[in-house]
Amino acid sequence: MNEEHYILFENYLSNELSAEEKVNFEKQLAEDPEFASAFEIFKELNLHLENKFGNEQELKAFKKNLKSISKEHFKVKKTKVVTFKPWQYVIAASIAILVGLFVFQNINPSFEDYDNPEMATFTQRGDINENLKLAQDAFNAKNYKTAIPYFEAVLKAEKSPEIQYFYAVSLLEENQFQKAESNLSELKSGTSIYKNKATWYLALSKLKQKDYDSCKAILLTIPDDYEDYDQVQELLNELD
Amino acid sequence: MANATIHPDQIYIDGLANNDSAIIQSIYKKFVPKVVHYIRNNSGDEDKAQDVVQEIMILLFNQAKAKKLQLTCPFDAYFFLLCKRKWLNEIKKSSNKGVTIDADLPSINESTEEMVTETEVFDEKQQLFDLMFQKLGDKCQELLKLSFTIKSMEEVAEKLNVTYGYVRKKKSLCVGQLTQWIQETNRFNSLKTN
Repeated sequence: MNEEHYILFENYLSNELSAEEKVNFEKQLAEDPEFASAFEIFKELNLHLENKFGNEQELKAFKKNLKSISKEHFKVKKTKVVTFKPWQYVIAASIAILVGLFVFQNINPSFEDYDNPEMATFTQRGDINENLKLAQDAFNAKNYKTAIPYFEAVLKAEKSPEIQYFYAVSLLEENQFQKAESNLSELKSGTSIYKNKATWYLALSKLKQKDYDSCKAILLTIPDDYEDYDQVQELLNELD
Repeated sequence: MANATIHPDQIYIDGLANNDSAIIQSIYKKFVPKVVHYIRNNSGDEDKAQDVVQEIMILLFNQAKAKKLQLTCPFDAYFFLLCKRKWLNEIKKSSNKGVTIDADLPSINESTEEMVTETEVFDEKQQLFDLMFQKLGDKCQELLKLSFTIKSMEEVAEKLNVTYGYVRKKKSLCVGQLTQWIQETNRFNSLKTN
């Protein structure tokens, strides 16, 4: 094939040939296998480049989302395979009994029974955002009051569902219900991996305010493939 | 193939193409554990499994975006076989010593095999196209990148400060150059296999 052929291919694909030229082109396609195979590759390359560059941003977003879901998935699995030694079972059982007695004393379930914030691990990825590091440390040390302004500074620079989620949990711990709920609601209506977790915490916010009906209504919207659905089920049973 | 009925598991393919977090999570929950188990039992570990799974998901995303990948078999078998074969290729590449490999599951049906082959061919082609693209000169690369991102050739011409006619001609020739290289590679490959 020479330059003229490639220009002809391009003109045919962008529909810029006259009716007569088109007929000739298609005739050559049918009669000349070499010509047809070159055109086939040319066409495929166009599709490939269209896909490669046209979807570049979408692919980037997909990879980012995939990475965080994958990280979450494998993290959850790792924490679940903690093995106990026999004497640890005894302690665990005693604690379970104590907790059971404690829960029994309260007629209604309380926020504290279910509030079990996970550890924040933002800065393992080697970034050096000072505010993010401070927010993470304060959050993991349960100094939520300290963590809040740092989260706000981080969110101001770049909003991400992950940070917004941890920020909302901190607000809830500090009884700033309105702010916490507006952030959680935003995550609930989004599509990030924090959607179900945010819904769960939204229900806990209602629980903390002793609004049991709203709490129940929100719990019922959580799909049963949510990773901590057993907690949802347990709280629903207690509310009944 | 075009007449085959689409399997209801197509929802997973569509979910990947739409970057739907709930669907991606359910793939991890329902189908990934089997892959992890397999890779662990065949000289790999969890980290390796994580990489293989991500690579296959990205491949499926690309294929779904490019040609509207239409699933005619259950996602479970298709996904598992893709991950498995990718992993086996990787160990083959990284070591010359023989690896003990489980025999293929006898339950793999024809339609699954067909789908897997199709996806693998797509993968190979993409890699070849990308490799050839890297061989192009900077000018060609820039022009193609712009023409396929912006789409309006008038705008591309303006951006590069050249005429519309020049951009169109140059674009044809750059893709033409790629076409020629790929034809040569294909000829070379068929010589090798014959």
